[in-house]
Amino acid sequence: MFIARSEYDRGINTFSPEGRLFQVEYSLEAIKLGSTAIGVATGEGVVLGVEKRVTSTLLETSSVEKIVEIDRHIGCAMSGLQADARSMVEHARVESQNHAFHYNEKLRVESCTQAICDLALRFGEGAQGEDSIMSRPFGVALLIAGYDEDGPSLYHAEPSGTFYRYDAKAIGSGSEGAQAELQNEFHKSLTLPEAEVLVLKTLKQVMEEKLDSKNVQLASVTKEKGFRIYTDAEMEEVVGRLPTN
Amino acid sequence: MASVFSGAPPQSGPGYSFKQTPTEAPSGTRQHGFYPYTDNGGSTLGISGADFTILAGDTRHTSGYNINTRYAPKLFKIGGEGPDNKGASIVLSVVGFAADGEALKERLDTIVKMYKYQHGKPMSVAACAQRLSHILYGKRFFPYYVHAILGGLDEEGRGALYSYDPVGSYEREQCRAAGAAASLIMPFLDNQVNFKNQYVPDSGSGHELQEKPRTPLDQNHVLELVRDAFTSAVERHIEVGDGLQVMIIKKEGIMEAFHPLKQD
Amino acid sequence: MNHLPQAWGRPRDDVYGAYDQSHFQMGGPNQHTQSPIVTGTSVVAAKFKDGIVIAADNLASYGSLARFTDVKRLRKFNDQVVVGFGGDVSDMQYLDRLLNSLDIRENYGSDGTPLNAKNLHTYLSKVMYKRRSDFNPLWNHLLIAGLDGEDKPFLASADLLGTTFSAPTLATGFGAHLAQPILRRSIPDEAAVPNVSREEAVLLVKEAMKVLFYRDARSMDKYSIAVVTKDGVELKQDEKLESQSWAFAEGIRGYGTQVN
Repeated sequence: MFIARSEYDRGINTFSPEGRLFQVEYSLEAIKLGSTAIGVATGEGVVLGVEKRVTSTLLETSSVEKIVEIDRHIGCAMSGLQADARSMVEHARVESQNHAFHYNEKLRVESCTQAICDLALRFGEGAQGEDSIMSRPFGVALLIAGYDEDGPSLYHAEPSGTFYRYDAKAIGSGSEGAQAELQNEFHKSLTLPEAEVLVLKTLKQVMEEKLDSKNVQLASVTKEKGFRIYTDAEMEEVVGRLPTN
Repeated sequence: MASVFSGAPPQSGPGYSFKQTPTEAPSGTRQHGFYPYTDNGGSTLGISGADFTILAGDTRHTSGYNINTRYAPKLFKIGGEGPDNKGASIVLSVVGFAADGEALKERLDTIVKMYKYQHGKPMSVAACAQRLSHILYGKRFFPYYVHAILGGLDEEGRGALYSYDPVGSYEREQCRAAGAAASLIMPFLDNQVNFKNQYVPDSGSGHELQEKPRTPLDQNHVLELVRDAFTSAVERHIEVGDGLQVMIIKKEGIMEAFHPLKQD
Repeated sequence: MNHLPQAWGRPRDDVYGAYDQSHFQMGGPNQHTQSPIVTGTSVVAAKFKDGIVIAADNLASYGSLARFTDVKRLRKFNDQVVVGFGGDVSDMQYLDRLLNSLDIRENYGSDGTPLNAKNLHTYLSKVMYKRRSDFNPLWNHLLIAGLDGEDKPFLASADLLGTTFSAPTLATGFGAHLAQPILRRSIPDEAAVPNVSREEAVLLVKEAMKVLFYRDARSMDKYSIAVVTKDGVELKQDEKLESQSWAFAEGIRGYGTQVN
């Protein structure tokens, strides 16, 4: 698999003869090292869930921020290099505020995702002569959840700059197993509480540590409350609802 | 920086042989400054109804006492498809400096068209209204010398009308007249559309007087008001005349009509 | 001598007195054109059934001085467009060079439709508007005459402010006051255009040129006239005003030989 790649490994703007961009492909690998993140879209709203890898008992778990707000109606979960995600989220926040400022309306979730993906390819010079602003592709994938005039939606954005809309999606180290589980369990008539349980149940299966209310984090986007990160009390309540086995 | 490279000797500093350096331009030379604006006359007007908006503007284009042309439209469809804006649902009217109006129209039109590609939906009038305000304010210190009126239907299908000053202040209104004959038309509209100074007969005197209740106006009635407003304006204002361009925005689309006005 | 090159080569103060350096524009802001210098007067044009007639005299004035008497102010762009220039002559020559380079660029490829009058008018009006917005105007009033994309007569104007308009008859400068009413009498609106023959239109424009020569002090009797139709451009640059009659002058105080 790794034969004869060295020639084209370094140039981030250079295709290999087989038509591949190795650095972009490697960035996808970086995500597979990241902690698992899951998103499930229902008719009522979208639930995001991430595992927090608590590497030390001295670690303050609340400082592990893997789900963040982009705007009142959009939030995202990340897997991969956290620092890269910060700049993408910052960009999305500015884009969202700008849209509200110029158009007096909420930015659509798809447009927000597109704005983030526009940034993902800025390791090369832009088509309109913009300078390259990064030395490498991003090493993080995002699950972007939001609620706009078309209802709730969930998007997955990759470092390659491509994005797709999903009903349910898992990214990160446990994504393969988790995605298979979501494939089996997802159905269109899922309620929000059911989705919360589905997210946690799926995370539980792929996590190395034993799941408790401290090493996972949930958030949701609904029409009424917008984007909301669950409080410790709410986390305990949802964890309590998990089937015991 | 200009002073560094102007070729003029420095005004201060040591050992310069020309001592009496003039510090200001010699008096007596006359400067004919370039003024980048002109007024091309004309008037526009917009009225919004329950499920429609009507915009109208005369088609005379003037420079001073000259009539440049008798047909120069002041109403433009914004958005839609292609150069003739097929399927558009927003109309912009501009009056004042026509070249700025044209430039403003083209900027707004491309923005609205780009918006549809970027966000996968046509821009709402409310969004367009806010965007137009920012375009105008963006040139706060070299303004587009125009009075713009934007018309369309809001999210609920009701007539929506927004009026602007040249630097972007805007407001949603029932009716607005702009341009050369605005001061002639606006009071008429206040009275006929918003029933200003009209009271219920025998409702008392002084503070007891009851205002005539406002009712949504019928489309044909509004059209009559528009045509009356312009025929009257033509009589009293030399910059207004030749033709009347009318656009009616409804959910079925935009209907456009042209009525002749006096050419004197 | 000192180290300031600005001071070198100037008359000595002790011999000639203080040097008048008012022409230096003491460190003020950059100045662009504030007024035209050598100018051409009116351009007149009229649509007819299947084309356009456009005319302008061959005079370039320096204020009230008739400075250059053989300046061609109509410019053929290609087989379907003629541009007429009023206003500053140096800016006209700049626009001429600009149109030359545009023409060369357009003709690099062998195929492709040539730019028509409508295209050229759009282009020129954007050039004019850009320059006025930079506070560096091209001091001209242009008429663009020719055919549009559907081979129909096209006539439009663009001026130093970027203002544009189109009408069946147009005239710039003095012509807007003197010639336009005459032209409009024969061609009042777009509906009248199909009833106007080429001969009628040429006669009409020549008549307008004559009136302008009678009444515009910055005009002359030598002029250029062009007719644009589907068959191409016919440009004549050395026409002389015919059948002048100054008999009317005798009846006007101060115009003829008598004083009062």
